[in-house]
Amino acid sequence: MQANLSLRLSQKRDLTADICEFTFVAADGAPLPRFEAGAHLTIETPSGAWRSYSLNNDDGETSRYVIAVKREEQGRGGSLSLHRQLHVDQLVHARAPHNGFALVSAPRYLLIAGGIGITPMLSMLRRLRRQGCDVHMVYLTRSRDMAAYADLLESPEFSGLVTLHHDHGDPKRTYDFWPLFATPDDRHIYFCGPPALMNAIYLRTIHWPRRQIHSESFSGVDAQDGQASAFRLRRASTGETFDIAADKSILDVLRDRRIAFASSCESGTCGTCKVPLVAGEPDHRDLCLSEEERQSAFIPCVSRALSDEITLDI
Amino acid sequence: MIEGRIDSLYRYPVKGLTGEMLQRVSLVAGEGFPADRLFGFVRHGSGFDPARPQPLPKDRFLMLMKDERLAGLEASFDPANWHFDVRVQGHLVHRADLSRQDGRDATEAFFATMFDIPHEEMPRFVHAAPHRFTDVSVVSSGLMNAVSLINLESLRDFEMRLGKEVLPARFRANIYFDGWPAFSELELVGREIMIGEARAIVTLRTRRCAATEVNPRTARRDIPVPRLLMQHYGHSDLGIYAEIQDDAVIEPGSRISVMGAN
Ligand code: FES
Repeated sequence: MQANLSLRLSQKRDLTADICEFTFVAADGAPLPRFEAGAHLTIETPSGAWRSYSLNNDDGETSRYVIAVKREEQGRGGSLSLHRQLHVDQLVHARAPHNGFALVSAPRYLLIAGGIGITPMLSMLRRLRRQGCDVHMVYLTRSRDMAAYADLLESPEFSGLVTLHHDHGDPKRTYDFWPLFATPDDRHIYFCGPPALMNAIYLRTIHWPRRQIHSESFSGVDAQDGQASAFRLRRASTGETFDIAADKSILDVLRDRRIAFASSCESGTCGTCKVPLVAGEPDHRDLCLSEEERQSAFIPCVSRALSDEITLDI
Repeated sequence: MIEGRIDSLYRYPVKGLTGEMLQRVSLVAGEGFPADRLFGFVRHGSGFDPARPQPLPKDRFLMLMKDERLAGLEASFDPANWHFDVRVQGHLVHRADLSRQDGRDATEAFFATMFDIPHEEMPRFVHAAPHRFTDVSVVSSGLMNAVSLINLESLRDFEMRLGKEVLPARFRANIYFDGWPAFSELELVGREIMIGEARAIVTLRTRRCAATEVNPRTARRDIPVPRLLMQHYGHSDLGIYAEIQDDAVIEPGSRISVMGAN
């Protein structure tokens, strides 16, 4: 559980026409919990809604948290209330930073930011520069006016590390990524931006090893249905247990472990993979078992567990 | 008589990779499409022996069901000289002569890189003509050489019910045709149809698997096709397999019909 924090807004400044920077310090003036580049801070906005924003300051700092927030006129009100109703010296509730987008150690880094996607990338760039790593950043916005932190990124501090590009809304001036992606090498690529940019980069790096491609807010669509969480599988015949990650099916995990398994549709419709259910609370997601069969059978290509552990006769 | 027209023809020389559209195809009795699914990348430890090819379950191959990123590659293979090209968004990223060992090695390395596969577990590029790596090859050798067909009218019916576009390319059929009542093709198992001037016997309904969840344009899973088929129709079948009985040349526009249908 992330600790609750009380923060005080110490500075607020406009970076562009619709992006505002907020600097928070601990309400009691003590050092803040450490964070790592890529982490986000979850705060209670004046609208009452909790929202997460990437931290963009250097993760070596413990005196402040800096975020930049784009005003979303069409949004649900969280960003708007920060812009309009949060003033210097006011206090906000927050949860300690959490990182789902951590930098891994790599020989070289390519960071790509589109629009407000600059925020986690800036923190990464600050840290990699401080550590003397080989890093290049590409930062894309429609115009220079709309590029938060453009002055900073063009300052001597970052000279030679950043490519700024503005397409002015003209498809003919779209940045050509291809020279950067043509040949997979030892670079790790981190990117964050609007969906169109995320998709374009996904498709243009499709031939790159996945472990070198890192992006935020893009987990893909779970074709099976909404939410999935991790659980443990126990194999009744041997007592072995297997951790089933949220993005894996039982079938995926068993196959990776070279446990032979009959399957066909892998979408819960054919019943080929059916196994006896021994214990645990199942989350049946198949479309082939009757309610009665569901008492004692389980379809491991799609079904999951509601309990922490489920035991199957495999 | 039910009569329709062929819309388009495709072959998939390398199992799991994108298809190539064909302008005409010479059907041969007892054979599938020329150069269809003649090659495949089998996973390490799959136990495939090209000298004694045995059908393998589809999960032993690099394939869309698990590896949706394959849909983001544009592959082309020339069966005349075994030259193989892979493009990403129109850019050439790999070119090899698969008739040579160094070309096959380089191709295996390309896919190992793409899929983070350690050197010791390199996938193998296999070819064992006349063996074909069709999904139904595990059922019988007749089916291994069957052609797959999709009735576009059935697909339209499905799209209407979903209220979404479902690209035909998800189904990786050899023959896409139009003009038969939606889903009438599923009732024809055991019956004879005419594909151009060739007789063909419908041998199986195509039960769809998770590979059809992958959108060929975005290379991501989006629509859970087998589940939605099940919900809307009570089965997860879309398309049929047929075994060709005569030699004939077919092309888009050729007639496709059911004799004596009532
Ligand atoms: S493989 Fe078809 S239901 Fe699991």
